[in-house]
Amino acid sequence: MEAKRTALYPEHLARGAKMVPFAGYEMPIQYDSLKEEALSVRRDCGVFDVGHMGEFLVRGPDATAFVDHLICNDFASPDVGRALYSPLLREDGTIIDDLIAYKMGAQRILICVNAANTQKDWEWMRSKQGPFNISLEDKSISFSLLALQGPRSSAVMEKMGLLSPEDPLPFFGVAEFKWRGEDVIVARTGYTGEDGFEIFSTDSSAKSLWENLLEEGVRPCGLGARDVLRIEAGLPLYGQDLRDDLTPYDSGIGWTVKMEKQSFIGQEALRNLSPQYRSLKLTLPKGIPRHGHEIFDESGHLVGRVSSGTMSVILGKGIAMAHVKRGTVESKKFLVKIRNKYYDAFVHKGSFVPRGAKK
Amino acid sequence: MSGHQVPENLKYTKEHEWIQIDDDCAAIGITDYAQSSLGDIVFVELPEVGRVLKQGETFGVVESIKSVSDLYSPLAGEVIEVNTQLENSPELCNEAPYDHWMIKIKLPATKDHPKLSSLLNHQEYKDLCRE
Repeated sequence: MEAKRTALYPEHLARGAKMVPFAGYEMPIQYDSLKEEALSVRRDCGVFDVGHMGEFLVRGPDATAFVDHLICNDFASPDVGRALYSPLLREDGTIIDDLIAYKMGAQRILICVNAANTQKDWEWMRSKQGPFNISLEDKSISFSLLALQGPRSSAVMEKMGLLSPEDPLPFFGVAEFKWRGEDVIVARTGYTGEDGFEIFSTDSSAKSLWENLLEEGVRPCGLGARDVLRIEAGLPLYGQDLRDDLTPYDSGIGWTVKMEKQSFIGQEALRNLSPQYRSLKLTLPKGIPRHGHEIFDESGHLVGRVSSGTMSVILGKGIAMAHVKRGTVESKKFLVKIRNKYYDAFVHKGSFVPRGAKK
Repeated sequence: MSGHQVPENLKYTKEHEWIQIDDDCAAIGITDYAQSSLGDIVFVELPEVGRVLKQGETFGVVESIKSVSDLYSPLAGEVIEVNTQLENSPELCNEAPYDHWMIKIKLPATKDHPKLSSLLNHQEYKDLCRE
């Protein structure tokens, strides 16, 4: 199958991006320096083309009830104009994907999913439509998506008329704006741990938004920087930290499960479940942990594996998210095996970086 | 890709390493092309002095923020010196790849080592980078 391209593909080539295949798309992994890209997002702002991600539109009288039934987080409570993060579960409590659902209106909900899972999620949602009075529309091809991230993002958005200084969006807020006569959806969400925005638009708007952002001095950033930034923020990635065979309780997102709400898919299984793993964050004074590296306790027992790891650009040391078997010794220190050497790894509570995102 | 430096006085490998041979000693590093493809180098793992390497054997690792690459010994020999400076300052591989050898090995006694012929000269290496 030929790789798909986002609307901004020619812009990436023109800026000398290194392109890689990702989830069926040819995407920019980095421009000139991954490190500088990541630092720009922490200190100023950067823009990511995430047009590969999947978008579905749910419309109709039962739209909220349908989405609330699909996901384990509580989607009935948020007001219109708010977004919610949640995993999407099977009946047995395992994770199909993680997503953000945007309540655009009482009867109109936008769902954004991982590119690699778009088809799988679409089929799942279609199969669960049953009694709900809704329509489902796959907007993945027609929607572009840009993520503007970093402390200067709100100033840039205001200048471009995509954020009202009198009525700024709250963190996880969503609203519609006009950009050069076309509708765009702006949400104060992201995947970097910084304040920032995601902009859903048509392909032609994405091109003019991109050009305008670059004129404002915003740095284009690739998926490499995005992965480092999200690990630094302790945000999970489906396929690594979140897996097909694990539940939210195994993977550090147990907080998204609202057992007390209306019935949802996976609720019964989660009620009776004893999770196998817990999720940990580790820092390594020496050595760079990578996905799949084994983790040992201080007595030399294999207790888990690194689910995501990288050199942190902002901390200048190795950081990891990990799955560790439950029932093993609670400890502040573990050892990560990297190419037959054992490196000290210390348990880290919370995000690796102070969150710049507004709450 | 022709913008990368390829000094004339060095030998090269297809794995983008450079070799400077001085009598029975060979200094080994990574090329300008290699460092630029890898991006910001953040970790270098090198062998212990005294380790005997076969030709083509992995002797260490360079890591960028998102990638891990093996280092292959272009020649057989015993490791006699390791550039420990790179362990603390791996960014030197980016800044001046030809000023910072990674290891020095002592070549076996035979002067006209047949395996030397497997190395590329600067012109051959330039052509390789251009492909």
